[in-house]
Amino acid sequence: MLKVENVSVKYGPFIAVDDASLEVGAGETVGLAGTNGAGKSTLFAAIAGQLPAATGSIRFQGKEILGQPSYTRAGLGLSRTFQVPREFGKLTVLENLLVAASDPRDENMLTSWFRRGRMHATTQRRTEQADTVLESLGILHVRDLLASQLSGGQKKLLELARVLMQKPSIILLDEPFAGVNPVRIGEMMEIFRTLAAKQGIALLIVEHHLQALQSLCSRLYVMDQGRIIAHGDPSTVLNSKTVQDAYMGGVI
Amino acid sequence: MDAYLISICIIAGIYALLAIGLNIQYGETGLINFGHVAYFAIGAYASAILAGKGVPVPLAMVLAGLVAALGAIPIGLAALRLKEDYFAIVTLGFAEAVRIFVQQEDWLTNGVQGIASIPPLFDSSTAPGYQNHLFAAVIVSVVICAMVAVALLQRSTFGRILRAIRENEVAVTALGKRTASFKVKVLMFGSFLGGVAGAFYAHFISYISPEQFIALVTFYVWMSIILGGVGSMKGALIGSLALVILLEGSRFIGDFLPGVSDVQMAHLRLGIIGLVLVVFSLYRPQGIFGRLD
Amino acid sequence: MSSIYLINLIINGLIEGMVIALPALALTLVLDISKFPNVTVGDTMSVGAYAALAFQSIGVPYFFLSVGGAMVVCMLISLATYYFVFRKLTRAPMVVNLLASVGLAFMMRSVLQLNVSSQPQTYDFPLVRAWNFSGIRILPTDLWVLLTTIVTLAIVFSIFRYTDLGRRLRAIADNPELARASAIRPKYPIFFLWCLFGALSALGGVLIASKSVLLPEFGWEFIIPAFSAVILGGIGNPVGAVLGAVIMGIASELSVAFVGPSYKITIAFAIMILVLLIRPAGLLGSPEKAR
Repeated sequence: MLKVENVSVKYGPFIAVDDASLEVGAGETVGLAGTNGAGKSTLFAAIAGQLPAATGSIRFQGKEILGQPSYTRAGLGLSRTFQVPREFGKLTVLENLLVAASDPRDENMLTSWFRRGRMHATTQRRTEQADTVLESLGILHVRDLLASQLSGGQKKLLELARVLMQKPSIILLDEPFAGVNPVRIGEMMEIFRTLAAKQGIALLIVEHHLQALQSLCSRLYVMDQGRIIAHGDPSTVLNSKTVQDAYMGGVI
Repeated sequence: MDAYLISICIIAGIYALLAIGLNIQYGETGLINFGHVAYFAIGAYASAILAGKGVPVPLAMVLAGLVAALGAIPIGLAALRLKEDYFAIVTLGFAEAVRIFVQQEDWLTNGVQGIASIPPLFDSSTAPGYQNHLFAAVIVSVVICAMVAVALLQRSTFGRILRAIRENEVAVTALGKRTASFKVKVLMFGSFLGGVAGAFYAHFISYISPEQFIALVTFYVWMSIILGGVGSMKGALIGSLALVILLEGSRFIGDFLPGVSDVQMAHLRLGIIGLVLVVFSLYRPQGIFGRLD
Repeated sequence: MSSIYLINLIINGLIEGMVIALPALALTLVLDISKFPNVTVGDTMSVGAYAALAFQSIGVPYFFLSVGGAMVVCMLISLATYYFVFRKLTRAPMVVNLLASVGLAFMMRSVLQLNVSSQPQTYDFPLVRAWNFSGIRILPTDLWVLLTTIVTLAIVFSIFRYTDLGRRLRAIADNPELARASAIRPKYPIFFLWCLFGALSALGGVLIASKSVLLPEFGWEFIIPAFSAVILGGIGNPVGAVLGAVIMGIASELSVAFVGPSYKITIAFAIMILVLLIRPAGLLGSPEKAR
């Protein structure tokens, strides 16, 4: 479903990503790990957004998306979360989700003035959808709080909820466990498993938390210094000499 | 006295339109537009020029608003690619460029001499003696329409997305929305209101010249929305009222104090506007009725 | 269009560019370290110019002493703006700092307008005639301007490159946390930065005024050209600010040959737009500091 082929990102003489290729099939949970500065975030940015310095090919469901503006991703079914949550602080949790799921036909001034009936009907439907999503993540009770009033962990779940409103086929998760306490990590892992199993959503998880990746992912890629140095079954990959050497030599 | 209050009402209406327009750009969407006076000028001049060529005044005013809205497209394009602080300075420069253009191209605008004898909205044939009352009624109605229009926008999907853009534009883009089109639309709408305000201004005072459209006017409007409350329409109205009281009040005081000339009062006003901006920045940047930033 | 005419324009542009270089430098440093465009640069220039005039008119013997006095006055003013206003706004959003700087600029101009004549004034210089090399005219004052600017830039540049103070300032520029910490217990680097801002603006104001006339509003008009120079050269790069100023000075002067003198400021503006669209980092700036 997502096919990254021979992608390189060069900033002048500095090669951030060197001829990387990876694949995520429908419904798969795939991990991307690596030492600090290995290029994971850069590769992630190339897939998720717009990196003018990127060359190669990134195909999503057959369509070439490399070089396309970042706002086109979500419409195709490719959504992403942010490592540091980017909630809309002064909007309520519900409004955050409504922004994510608005109907493009309602997003203009004329509708705001002349077709309010239809707009309200859509909002009503989306609110019900939002309630379902919030419930599935266990945060229905904060629905009417301002997003800025949420705890760190709740904000991460809000990120996820927003993305789920768009009914993605694949979610790119940018260090979802960063700064999350161990109890929460367990809960989030369950949520991810459910998303994959029940809704068939593919996940590409960029993470430092190797145990979580081992537990969640069916396949794992490891990067070091811009290159993909290993790929395959998580346990095998993590125990391989190449990967051990890279982590020992570098900083995790 | 009656006539004086009517004029105050009209001036307040003009500033209210300017404030409502700027508020939807900055208060709702977070666009730091320091060039608002450019659209005030474009509206004033467009309406004066069209009316001078025989276009009926009401039509000239509406067209002037549309011309001003079109004039927002260049800064709209700038907004797409610039960080907010660059955008602020660029809009400042744009307004100055517009003023210089108006000053130089005297084949169109009569240059430094300005345009005089601008036809009023209601001439002496309709309701003799009550032209200004009618004018005031018209502008108040327009202000009310603008308020309704903006209120509807605020309570809609479109408005929600504007506020989301203000909070975190990157996230809105990641959610698949073309923030560019929202920003351009908002700039055009706010500039339309600014242009209509300019048209009202031109037909009210009947003489316009380039030095009436200096950057200070933009900051009058900024002071209004900061005072009244960023993002709140009630705040925009209260702020413009406060602005008019300040402007007129200082004129009064200048008249009463011996030895203080009009010009000196103008200088003092500048300092007071500055002081208000500084004090509110330090202690209450969200204004009286606004939401905390 | 004769080449003599063009050469004169280029020389004029070079000088004009050099005088803009000083406020541009002030602007680029504050923009890089405090992260907002400080529009008080314009009115600080005006205050500096008038302060020098005041010192000269009360009989201070040498002009450079008057200029020095003006620089001290503006150093204190800029320091005060930092201490009482911008220091408290270190954690505030950029727009609040920006609006505060607009407010301070208005306050400065108001005080100036209430205390000086609104008639154009000039410094009391002995009348000199321009040197004329077969059509190419160079004013002796311009040479002084050039010399002063070059020396000042050399001093500032050396401080930033070679002293501990400069290193600490650059560290603050790259690290916002450090900047915030410095605001709570103000340290010498930040004080120095703001004094430098005032001094450079004052000097720039005096030099510009010495080439033409003093009017209370003249400083505000130089905000756009100064900002354009900063953008052209790249933020945070002192050499870039100077380069940008010179290029812009020459470009706007040359444009006079084509669109007449009144559009000079607009040309500066147009150059700024072009640079922002094509290469936001500027000629010498680093891409991370741009959009």
